[in-house]
Amino acid sequence: MTAAPATTAPSRPAATDRPHRTDGVTGRRRRRALTGWLFAAPFTVLFAVFMAVPVVASLAMSFTDLRSTDLRNPWSVDVVGLDNYVRLFSDALFRRAAVNTLVFVVVGVPLTIVAGLAAATALNSALVRFRAAFRVGFYLPVVTSIVAIAVVWRFLLDPEAGLVNNLLRVVGIDGPNWLGDSSLALPSITVMAAWRNFGFLMVIFLAGLQAVPADLYEAARIDGAGRWAQFRHVTLPMLRPTLLFGAVVTGIGYLQLFEEPFVMTRGGPLSSTLSVSYHIYNQFGFGNYGYAAAASYVLFVGIVALSALQFRLLRSSE
Amino acid sequence: MRRQRRLWLAAAAAVLALAGCGRDAGGGQDGARSVGDGKATGEITVWAMGTEGEKLAEFAKAFTTENPDAKVTVTAVPWDAAHQKIASAIAGKQTPDISMIGTTWMGEFAKTGAFDPTPLNFVDKSAFFSGAWDTTVVDGTSYGVPWYVETRLIYYRKDLAQRAGITAAPQTWDELKTFAKALKEKAGAQSGLYLQPGGTGSWQSFLPFAWSNGAELTAGKDFSIDTPEMTEALTYYQSFFAENLSVKNDLGLQGALEQSFISGKVGAFVSGPWHVGLLTEQGGPGFADKFAVAPMPRKKTATSFIGGSDLAVFKDAKNRDAAWKFIAWLSKPEVQVKWYQAVKDLPAVQKGWDDSTLKDDPFLATFGLQLKDAKSPPPMATWEQVASVIDGQVERVAKAGENPATAVKTMQQQASSVGTGG
Amino acid sequence: MSTMDTPVRGRDRAARIALYAVLVAGLLVVVGPFVWMLLSSVKPEAEIRQVPPTWLPETVTLEHYRELFSRLNFPRYFGNSLVVAVLTTAGNLVFCSALGYALAKLRFPGRRVLFALVLGTLMVPGMVTFVPQFVLVSNMGLVNSYAGLVLPFLAGPFGVFLMRQYLLSIPDDIIEAARIDGAGEWRVFWSVVLPLCRPALATLGILTFLASWNNFLWPLVVATTEDRYTLPVALALYSVGQNRIDFGLMLAGAVVVVLPVVVVFLVLQRHFLRGIATTGLK
Repeated sequence: MTAAPATTAPSRPAATDRPHRTDGVTGRRRRRALTGWLFAAPFTVLFAVFMAVPVVASLAMSFTDLRSTDLRNPWSVDVVGLDNYVRLFSDALFRRAAVNTLVFVVVGVPLTIVAGLAAATALNSALVRFRAAFRVGFYLPVVTSIVAIAVVWRFLLDPEAGLVNNLLRVVGIDGPNWLGDSSLALPSITVMAAWRNFGFLMVIFLAGLQAVPADLYEAARIDGAGRWAQFRHVTLPMLRPTLLFGAVVTGIGYLQLFEEPFVMTRGGPLSSTLSVSYHIYNQFGFGNYGYAAAASYVLFVGIVALSALQFRLLRSSE
Repeated sequence: MRRQRRLWLAAAAAVLALAGCGRDAGGGQDGARSVGDGKATGEITVWAMGTEGEKLAEFAKAFTTENPDAKVTVTAVPWDAAHQKIASAIAGKQTPDISMIGTTWMGEFAKTGAFDPTPLNFVDKSAFFSGAWDTTVVDGTSYGVPWYVETRLIYYRKDLAQRAGITAAPQTWDELKTFAKALKEKAGAQSGLYLQPGGTGSWQSFLPFAWSNGAELTAGKDFSIDTPEMTEALTYYQSFFAENLSVKNDLGLQGALEQSFISGKVGAFVSGPWHVGLLTEQGGPGFADKFAVAPMPRKKTATSFIGGSDLAVFKDAKNRDAAWKFIAWLSKPEVQVKWYQAVKDLPAVQKGWDDSTLKDDPFLATFGLQLKDAKSPPPMATWEQVASVIDGQVERVAKAGENPATAVKTMQQQASSVGTGG
Repeated sequence: MSTMDTPVRGRDRAARIALYAVLVAGLLVVVGPFVWMLLSSVKPEAEIRQVPPTWLPETVTLEHYRELFSRLNFPRYFGNSLVVAVLTTAGNLVFCSALGYALAKLRFPGRRVLFALVLGTLMVPGMVTFVPQFVLVSNMGLVNSYAGLVLPFLAGPFGVFLMRQYLLSIPDDIIEAARIDGAGEWRVFWSVVLPLCRPALATLGILTFLASWNNFLWPLVVATTEDRYTLPVALALYSVGQNRIDFGLMLAGAVVVVLPVVVVFLVLQRHFLRGIATTGLK
């Protein structure tokens, strides 16, 4: 099964060496190799200098006790081996941040996917006109400044003056202090993140939906399937690779949760919205460069693990 | 992926092999060089944040008139990321001649060895408020000069106090409590005295109470947080939340503090001089007559927090002598007064306060009074992190009802594990 | 868009109304903050801070915009942002598509390792490399230069990933046919492959432009004098003080920064949306 919705032809491994080639195989191969490196060279040089060197340096940093006070003489720091990594796991705040981040990812990713899928399905329905307008509208939060978003959301969620609690009051519910209550702050941030990001997924899902062949629905209808049954038995299975892709991309982004708590709650109340990225940011601010670097690489391993897991799921479904 | 990781490890090992020398124990001993005579010459590069950065270039024209061969180039830096910019500049050895430095950053940046020690035969230490001067001293050496100061006072609604039958501002801890109760019960304020319930910077609200009770953060190189005085101060701070005299939401974070004060939901709060302008601006016509400021209440002392910014010269400065001359000019009392008129920064130089512009303003006069008894945390390289420890425990005490004695023990223990960076 | 089913009149009308109700409600919730930002940028400061907040401005004022434009050298910062964003975008389009093509369609030793390395750096949190990167740039003498602002962003791992995935879905036969016609590798890339990549290039272009346009920390630190500041850096100078935030200036600033991006987005949204949709998946 082809995964890509708008792919014009089945994808296959790139430039397979064909078995019938016999003459001048080595010469050709050498030329191919040369061409390949010529195409790769400009990027690779820039990449090696501006990305690889800093990455290696920062990784090295994570095995030292480098602090901001060593900035003028970075070579005079002490090598502490895995000490930073060991300390991380006895750091109660880091553990708290890790739990918060995991909860956020586990709840936030499905929530965002469901919202994106709902929007995509609705917009893909033949019943709707002005699709372009809706598409642009739903995509706006992705490009709007986080500062403006934060200001508006703080007003929306204000315990007394906020729109949300005023609406709740209409139906007789006394709304809580969404961002000030340590058990509600993280859920509020999660909803806000889903709100901000579902537009991106909607776009991807829309494309996926368009690639589902219309005759599949036709066949389902002839079998007497209703709308829901069509969605369950045709749309969802056909969309599975797309959904998994969305999960990977969203998962990577959500594991690095930072902006929402930064502008909305400063990680509070009582550290209930402190994320791993936020903790790293704080450690950098404190000048604990070695320690912050170690925390970054733990997060890196988490991201790689999650991506690997999701890629595996994606592949096994093909 | 596996091969890639192995590559990295190899590279990292190579880097570490190069790095394996360890740091030397010295630092902080360098003596100050003197500054040459005569007028300043050459280009002086200055970094300054916010309004200061915006207005300084124009302001410095008076200096270049006096020193025609000198040129002052100011780069304005957003507050948002100023710390990161200065840290990176030190790492990349790309510092300007002078930078404005937040007082609580002095310890950290001075420890890098990036600052030029203050030439004490050139700058008169006694001209400044002593609390402000102390922010420049790291391990016994001064690394800069206070530029402007701010301190914290109690803002209160005069009209509400009157309605509650109070005629004089509170002067002791007991009076402050009665005052807050009266504002709540008799004048209908939801928070009689709003105190910051934890969160970034709440140490600035809490520490004045601790200092007033005789508590100190450090004794020599060690933390001395876990004392009965500190616990008593924190218990007092907590009582405002326990007795519902202050809400437990961070009104400042939600941007609601000013409006709550204007609407009368908050009867009083603790803050710095910038709130005079903010409140007058947002309260509309006539609101300036409805509120007043009062000094911090007395326990053993009536000490408040002193903040603001210092000016430091970098060791890598290209034009060191001229830089110090420019700083000396900025520290002249008459220049400090002009600077106040330009950007509303309170003079760090005591003589500046003799000018009628400041002396005759009732709000400012109170700030001037408080500055004589105001202090800052001892400069240390790890201050930001220690501050976050205090902020965290203040929050637990205010919001989660944590026992103050336990909180103070935790502060002591966490701060000690962070260390003073010395 | 494909038609899902032939409408059956009566039942569909109810469904359509319900659908519109949900979509419009959703749209209000999603677009609301954006509209609020626009409307509030013309309110006086006191009204922005008013609790409860107002939707429509009670007093319309352009003071924040006037202040913004009079206090900052707008053409200069706008120009810097534009130069940096355009150079970064152009560089990414060229370099990422070249490497993406090589990774997807050319066999050469080391390409797996190269791809793994590129993908790996994509997952390294950005904060951790910041200081080493700056030290590097400063040792190369590039502080306060356009080169220092642009070079570190020319080789973005994301772009390579995107272009490679997209190119994998282009059938080899097309490329093979061009080769048989005698076109050199460069000709094939330039006149056959790149035109096929238009949607992916549009996506990459807009995403890179957006990221570069909004970048704050790097230009702030690398630009040591104000004449090299970009728009977001300059805007942050005036709206956020040590102890106060000027909401009016901040919102007006946000509008000024976001508007060009929204315009670009509106113009290119057809390409852009299709681009994302077809490229991300593999």
